[in-house]
Amino acid sequence: MVVRIRLARFGNKHDPFYNIVVAQARSARGGKPLEVIGTYNPIPKRPVSLYNENVNTRPYKEVALDQARAKYWLGVGAQPSDPVWKLLNMAGLVAPKPTTYNKA
Amino acid sequence: MAPRIQSQRVSNTLLPYLTSSSTSSSSFNTSSCSPSLSLARQFSATAAPQTKLRRQMFEWLNTDGVNYKHHVPGEMNYLAKGRRDADSAPSNRPFPNNRNFVSESVLSEELRNEVYVQVVEQKKSVRAVSVQFGIDMKRIAAVVRLVELERRQRSQGKPMAMPYARAVHEMVPVTPLAERPVFHEPINDLPAHPSTGAQIFYPTTESRSFTRIDAGRVFSAAPEFQDAQRAAYPHPSDLANVIFKKPRKIEWVGKGANYRQVLQPADVRIPHPQQVQMERDRIAFPQERRAVLDRHAERLAKQEKVEQTRRERAKKVHEDSINLVEPEGGRFDFRIKDAFFTNKTVGHDGRAPFAPGRRYGVPTNDRKRGVVKIPTFVKA
Repeated sequence: MVVRIRLARFGNKHDPFYNIVVAQARSARGGKPLEVIGTYNPIPKRPVSLYNENVNTRPYKEVALDQARAKYWLGVGAQPSDPVWKLLNMAGLVAPKPTTYNKA
Repeated sequence: MAPRIQSQRVSNTLLPYLTSSSTSSSSFNTSSCSPSLSLARQFSATAAPQTKLRRQMFEWLNTDGVNYKHHVPGEMNYLAKGRRDADSAPSNRPFPNNRNFVSESVLSEELRNEVYVQVVEQKKSVRAVSVQFGIDMKRIAAVVRLVELERRQRSQGKPMAMPYARAVHEMVPVTPLAERPVFHEPINDLPAHPSTGAQIFYPTTESRSFTRIDAGRVFSAAPEFQDAQRAAYPHPSDLANVIFKKPRKIEWVGKGANYRQVLQPADVRIPHPQQVQMERDRIAFPQERRAVLDRHAERLAKQEKVEQTRRERAKKVHEDSINLVEPEGGRFDFRIKDAFFTNKTVGHDGRAPFAPGRRYGVPTNDRKRGVVKIPTFVKA
């Protein structure tokens, strides 16, 4: 069975929060994963605009990632889901996912 | 004479009476108050139009109260206990019968601008400015932030609530910017530490010197100082220098959830420990004022340097741990932080309460009845 690196949704209604988990592909989203390797908060945060240095900074989303474990699981063939692929790409662990619409 | 309430015939007459002068209102009264009306009152069930307290109120309004009717612009208009003189210093108590209600003073516009100039433009340390003007260091930090915000808003052409600011400065006492600085507030205050709340009976030998360092160790149930250790700190404020340079020197005691730092003497925990040392120097060398001040300045500079390096190092560590990614065409940045999911950080079953991320197999009590869901304290 395929091992995937994917997001598991936590939090309440309108207040999503994700654990980045390594799990069997066919297991439930809320089931216990093989391992948790990070978190992703999709609600953008805005830095306090009280300071001049923060005036022009953009809102940001927080990602926490155990890079060593992510590398290990990628090395043994775990397949990231699309959203996780984007995050891992931003962390510099994988190449961007090849897309059909970019080829043409 | 005090004006009367017209009980039946004229309604809502109170307002014009309070604002009009006493002579005009009394003439109005005599014309409308006929003798037949007073005869009819014998069988009236309505309350008497004039009580003693009401009469006294108008008496006061026409005598002492006249002084308070119009305030002097730029000054407070607080009630004084007796008759107010022009010479007497204004009181900080707006309610003369409530001695416990004291209006605390606020910084004047000039003073707060001066604080900003000294900290940001002249690059003086917050500690030095705090001692110079007698303003708490936290307040200095707040002033710098807010003046920065104000200047930015001015440069953007945003309107300022100046009438409001002026009104507030007339309602509360104001600390002015003077040649000889007027101290705004006590700056070396220390909140009572919770672990000093216990009453401990601690027998010790009379020959032994028992200092604040020892008291702190007793309060936190740490082992007693050995003689050699005690000899290193003849006065508790000597410890402040050591702890300031190496905060990790503070010992830890206890186990598990009770693992805590040894309570340090007040000499170490106060915001300005160097003030104590300067005072000790002054007492020890009363003749050498210049030398004492030089040593104090030297101590301040050293302290500032240590604080500066510590701030820079902390900032660098924080920046290094965060990888900021700005995706093309996106509205948001991504801050990718290093996290470590090991046995040590998540516990042997991955359910440790301190583990990063949300946990499995542990109920979240965030919607349970009887659980406090709002934050109950703010970290200082």
